[in-house]
Amino acid sequence: MTTTDTTPRQLRSAGRGGGQWLLRVLKRYSFMFALALFVIFFVITLIQSGGRISLANQLANLAPTAIAAMACAPAIISGRGGFDLSISPTMVLTAGLYAGVFVLHGIDGPFAIVLMLVVGAGIGLINGLLIVGIRIPPVVATLSMYFVLIGVNLELIPAPISLIGSPLEMFGGSLGPIPGALITLAFPLVVWGLLGLTPYRSLLFAVGSNDITAYSAGVRVGLVRIGAYTLGGLFAGVAGVAIIAVSHSANANLSATYALPAVAAVALGGTSLLGGRGGLFGPVLGAASIFLLANILVSFQVNPSWLQVIYGVMLMISVVLVSFASRATSGVVK
Amino acid sequence: MIDTTLPAQDAGESPQAAEVLLRVESISKAFGPTRAIRDASLEVRPGEVLALVGENGSGKSTLVKILAGVHQPDAGRLYVGGTAVSGLSSPRDARVHGIATVFQEVLVAEARSVLDNVWLGIGGIRGRVSRAEKARLAREVLTDLLGAAPDLSTPVEELSLSDRQACGIARALLAKPKVLILDEATSALDVEMRDRLFVQVRRLTSEGAGVIFITHRMDEVAELGDRVTVMRSGVTVGHLPRAEATLSTLVKLMTGNENAQRHIRGERAARVAGDPYLTAEDMVLRPGGAPFDVEIRGGEILGLAGLEGHGAETFLDALRGVKIVSGKVVRHTESGAVRVTSTKAAARQGIAFVPRERGHAVFRWMSIRENFGMPTLRADTRAGILSPKRTRGRLEDYVDRLKIVLGDPENRITTLSGGNQQKVVVARWLAAGPRVLLLNDPTRGIDINAKNDLYRLLAELAADGLAVVMLSTEVDEQIELMDRVLVFREGTVTRTFRGGTLTREALVGAYFGEDPAEVATLQSVASETDTDTDRAAR
Repeated sequence: MTTTDTTPRQLRSAGRGGGQWLLRVLKRYSFMFALALFVIFFVITLIQSGGRISLANQLANLAPTAIAAMACAPAIISGRGGFDLSISPTMVLTAGLYAGVFVLHGIDGPFAIVLMLVVGAGIGLINGLLIVGIRIPPVVATLSMYFVLIGVNLELIPAPISLIGSPLEMFGGSLGPIPGALITLAFPLVVWGLLGLTPYRSLLFAVGSNDITAYSAGVRVGLVRIGAYTLGGLFAGVAGVAIIAVSHSANANLSATYALPAVAAVALGGTSLLGGRGGLFGPVLGAASIFLLANILVSFQVNPSWLQVIYGVMLMISVVLVSFASRATSGVVK
Repeated sequence: MIDTTLPAQDAGESPQAAEVLLRVESISKAFGPTRAIRDASLEVRPGEVLALVGENGSGKSTLVKILAGVHQPDAGRLYVGGTAVSGLSSPRDARVHGIATVFQEVLVAEARSVLDNVWLGIGGIRGRVSRAEKARLAREVLTDLLGAAPDLSTPVEELSLSDRQACGIARALLAKPKVLILDEATSALDVEMRDRLFVQVRRLTSEGAGVIFITHRMDEVAELGDRVTVMRSGVTVGHLPRAEATLSTLVKLMTGNENAQRHIRGERAARVAGDPYLTAEDMVLRPGGAPFDVEIRGGEILGLAGLEGHGAETFLDALRGVKIVSGKVVRHTESGAVRVTSTKAAARQGIAFVPRERGHAVFRWMSIRENFGMPTLRADTRAGILSPKRTRGRLEDYVDRLKIVLGDPENRITTLSGGNQQKVVVARWLAAGPRVLLLNDPTRGIDINAKNDLYRLLAELAADGLAVVMLSTEVDEQIELMDRVLVFREGTVTRTFRGGTLTREALVGAYFGEDPAEVATLQSVASETDTDTDRAAR
């Protein structure tokens, strides 16, 4: 390897060529596959409906799962098998607290929303402390939390509670020309964007990519991880708002509903379960793709059992593509 | 914990105490029963490069990890900038104290960009630096190291190993450390980048920082070190100015004067090397490495020696069929020669391998019998039905021969001592009836009696005509046990010693590249670099 100092050079890269370029793009922007799916499904939906789709309604239906998927992302990005299984019951808990407690005590509107977010973040914080402080493996810690919360939800909302005229409904309808669900959907993205202005987001990715490096460089790895779970919990609180907004009710039996679709959306969005890469766009696009596909298949009257098969195949293709890109573009030959 | 009171003699003895950037006094550190550092002291003054040298396992890396805040010392005193500190509790704490470390391992966040990697962990300490400013400083430092402006948005995983390490070094440089520690940081660098790094190190020292430089390369010590501290068995045994640090002095300090007991020698005389069993031709262990040939004969014990990472392990792997850069390993039998192209082929050709980490060789949750019989269970099955009794019968032979101390063979393997576990592992492979036995540091971490049993066994096996190839990190083992010792350096065999003619000094000298011609050139390098570095400083 010889380079002369007179000619400027790029840092040496592993390989070049057209195929390499595509793989590298796929690796750096791992949500590309989900984006392609989303565009295809969206076009099909538009053609099929003749352009007459209720955007506000569709977005409101999409919101809970999409936000749940975004809520899963920080824990996964934080690495070392980071995962939060308790997102789904946390969402239902915050919705249940709103419908079953806050409203009854006259707490409503913005203050109720803030409380929901605080509760969500609090549960995420507890998860983070269990995982970082007591070193319980993330899947075990959050699975325990999952069961605890499902029980709490059943106790809190023994029968589904319906709400009429809740101010939170605006997030399921329209605010003038703006679909209300756009606000709940945008909240995590905005928070994520703002974190991008602080060192935190870089540190989160660095910790997820290689925590030994981060530790040796003086990063407080534990705090960063706790922050990731807290952030996920915060987003789960937002998803609770989205549940109320679209269903006007809270139902403990739905505690586990969003868990697996959220995971599917995250994986389809190209997020590496090994941590250190990805973001929130992937999960959102993944959730939207699954959502649109479900609608399309239903409108073509495809047997719902095939739906699951198609999800599964889509998921596999996505994961295989990302890992293939990852292996094909590594700079160091092992 | 650590005594934080200033020693009484301090005030009188070192009036320039404030000028010492970092001082370590009588630090010790044990990991369980292993005393990694027994008594280490050193000091770094502004504007100097302190070279820290020592054999494998002399405690250098542990000392570095203490200074980097990764480990906390058990006893001893630590002064940073003249004030006593009660240990550095984390790498972050070390950074706050102005100590930045580049570790031997290339530590980067693979998925992150070059920019994120070089600024990792230091944004908080230096306060708010704008992104544009970060990019400018990063480009400046990386240009100094790489010789050209890099693309800061490239994910580090797309870079070569050398460039990745440059990112790790840039991270340390950007922290503007008062003390920079380079722990074998040059081993992953290519030559030009190493030269550019040395210029940066000189710039840093000219600005009043101190550098601790750990290397196995004596030419680098001569080129960069202002003073040299030598470690041996966890003790800092010497502090020398560069002028006094000749290679032979350093080697003497590193090896000490302990004479090994000669207790296996007699048995060696009885062995006669037989036919070649295994030949390795045109072996290239790393890109650009010099090719070499080795012939391994039945009835001999061949030792593989050298500093870690210099090729001995790769060569051993190549012998058991792992792919290397290029070369040909051929197994010679009565019925002809067969190329060894895979680990599977090696096993078929009667080449058995005992790995280094006992954890990799032992099934922890299984019994002694199961651990012994695992690869040879077919011998104990009749019509597909396994007879544990038959396995136990086979194990019996080895229990006597290897002096394995065990109660019931149905007990878990973990109920045995490390030495006995290792014997079971060796027995497992012997049961497969190999003609060539490869061992990677088999006596590491086992007690002296178990070691002696193993030595005796290997000698017996060789006398029976087996070819034994053993990588060992223990110098005494190389001297005592081996019929022939190959010394690996820079990915090739640089010296071959015959058993019986070997001294500790000669062997360790060879590890560090000592041979008469090289010593002469080194000394001239040392005198030349004075003028070189003067030029660089200007």
